[in-house]
Amino acid sequence: MKKGNTGWYLLFTAPLLVIFTTVVIIPFIIGIYYSFFEWDGIAANPKVFVGVDNFLRLFDDARFLKSTWITTLFTILAVISVNIVGLTAAVLVTSKLRIANAARTMIFMPYLIGGLILGYIWQFIFLDVFTLIGSITGLDGLFFNWLMDMDYALYAMVFVFTWQMAGYVMIIYIAGIQGIPNDVIEAAKIDGATGWQRFKKITVPLLMPAFTISLFLTLSSAFKIYDVNLSLTGGGPANSTEMFAMNIYNEIFGYGNYGFGQAKAIIFFFVVAAITLTQVYITKKREVEM
Amino acid sequence: MKLQKRTFGSLLLIALLLLLAACGGGTKDEGTAPVKESTGGTDKPEEVTDQKITIFQSKVEISDQLEALAKEYTAETGVEVEVWGTTGDDYFQQLQIRLNSNQGPSIFSLQHVLEAEKLKSYVYDLSSEEYVSYIAPGMELKIDDKIVGVPYGVEGFGLVYNKDLVKPEDVADYASFVKTMEKFNAEGINGLGLAKDAYFLIGHISNYPFSIQPDHYAFIDKLTSGEVTMADTKEFQEFGDFMETIKNNTPSPLDVTYDKEIGDFAAGKSAMIHQGNWAYGMLSEFDFDFEVGMLPFPLLGNDKMAVGVGNNWAINGTKDEAEVKAANDFLNWMSTSEIGHRYIVEEFGFVPALTNIDAGDLDPLSQDVLDASNKGQTIPWAQNYFPANIVPNDFTPAAQEFFLSKDMTGKELIDKLDDAWKNAVK
Repeated sequence: MKKGNTGWYLLFTAPLLVIFTTVVIIPFIIGIYYSFFEWDGIAANPKVFVGVDNFLRLFDDARFLKSTWITTLFTILAVISVNIVGLTAAVLVTSKLRIANAARTMIFMPYLIGGLILGYIWQFIFLDVFTLIGSITGLDGLFFNWLMDMDYALYAMVFVFTWQMAGYVMIIYIAGIQGIPNDVIEAAKIDGATGWQRFKKITVPLLMPAFTISLFLTLSSAFKIYDVNLSLTGGGPANSTEMFAMNIYNEIFGYGNYGFGQAKAIIFFFVVAAITLTQVYITKKREVEM
Repeated sequence: MKLQKRTFGSLLLIALLLLLAACGGGTKDEGTAPVKESTGGTDKPEEVTDQKITIFQSKVEISDQLEALAKEYTAETGVEVEVWGTTGDDYFQQLQIRLNSNQGPSIFSLQHVLEAEKLKSYVYDLSSEEYVSYIAPGMELKIDDKIVGVPYGVEGFGLVYNKDLVKPEDVADYASFVKTMEKFNAEGINGLGLAKDAYFLIGHISNYPFSIQPDHYAFIDKLTSGEVTMADTKEFQEFGDFMETIKNNTPSPLDVTYDKEIGDFAAGKSAMIHQGNWAYGMLSEFDFDFEVGMLPFPLLGNDKMAVGVGNNWAINGTKDEAEVKAANDFLNWMSTSEIGHRYIVEEFGFVPALTNIDAGDLDPLSQDVLDASNKGQTIPWAQNYFPANIVPNDFTPAAQEFFLSKDMTGKELIDKLDDAWKNAVK
């Protein structure tokens, strides 16, 4: 980097820094401050200092603990299914498939639709289309309104989230696959490696950087999911799909417990940070240098 | 050193630009707000301003009509009125967020005194305003003898029924109710339609066991302090039986939207729906060839209609003087002008709670509410004294579980509601 460019770099970074500080850093610090108070969120009403009570109370909150479990389960299922679908799609569209380009566009498309709208669209599909298919084909054990079943509602969430995110991680995997030099593959072919062997011994190890990014993205966005959760199930039925973010929102704005809700949010931040950093650390170690 | 100087310079420049941008926005706002100018050309003698007011309210059914009213007001006075939309369900949360970030509306709606108490520092004292004197006795929203809200109108809910299919004596008490529901179930008709949205699933219907208590305020206080439980109270025990009968004889309400609930009723697929007189607005958009009426919910033989004030208009007192005055002018106009009256009665479909409004020809549901109200055959809306947000946050998940689990009994539902109450007041 030429020294004279520093001014230019700053010119473009500074606005971002200012925005990041005002909408992320400062609210975060204020949030930590509020988490030590009992307060109902109305500016004129009293804030009572309660120390770390809010954090201790978390362990008595059955609904919060339940949402922890639901979120974990959702994240595990979602990360697996998003990455399998995304990677499969990437492998398919980089092969010599005739419809590769069209397929690439189609698979990526859902990501361009906002999570809220996506949720409402799928709500309609589950409610009207699924029940219709079920009644026509008689397969009503599979095609019924998933959103109104306490177990299936979570799978419906995983399904819709996969539909949304798979195209995005596919793009990352495509970039990774295209970065693998052809001569390595050709050498393997000449040595007589089968397609599966080439995939396992060459593609996957060389794709490690793409795995790091994709896993990080899916892990963190699955953990933080709110929009699809809100529009698809609204946390229902009977709170069976109430994820972390929604539980926090409900605590703060539903019950008006700003302090307690903030305590949850702080814990939430540390959990997400810890999990994603661990994942990045682990997968980074497995990346191979060419 | 030279490099640092340049860096510093560009940073300073950015900071200045940002500051300018921020100030620019600020001064513009302040500039437009209080300025008044009288424009010639209109034949109205009153002062015309470019003041703008905003309205945020929770009743989704009247949003379109309210916007039309706002346009008429703008045409008449030149004051711009902006109506903000909401889905209704998280209205109060939205309101709090907006008020907290100093972006609150000039006029907002409040459901009841608990909400008003919570927003005590925002509500403007309307006591000395002229239009407040027209409020029907006992219907005003008060905190500490100060009137802070003007009622939208009185409303009532109950069993909205198809007069071709149901006779009042069919649903006079629990025994006849069960018989009627079973009869309709056998005929493939939905005996009593509910909808999946919080208030139409459990919110309104759960009022009855509270409302028919001799003193529902005292009962709710005792419930909150843990002196009584719902499970031990006979009103709730029978309410549980009612819910069980409904569940066993009707399709699951969790698949039914508000629109579908009304549509099915209009199409004759449902004999009764649990709704209020406000539902007539949507109902009248359908073609239906039968007469409708409203009956009291016969819990323990109850024969009184649940009538109350669902919403009140309040003014945001933290706004600057000009905006508060403009908001007051609007409410005054709505409560006293001919156009305002026409909207309240005909467009909003409200049963007026203001004495200066002639109710005129009401739709059949509102007429039933007004008749009950005139005869004093009413029970109060206990929900106005429920802990804030308990219906969407706690009652609804319990009711969802009840309707989803085939073998959950009405008694278990009441236990769940007890838990829900404890959770809401903890």
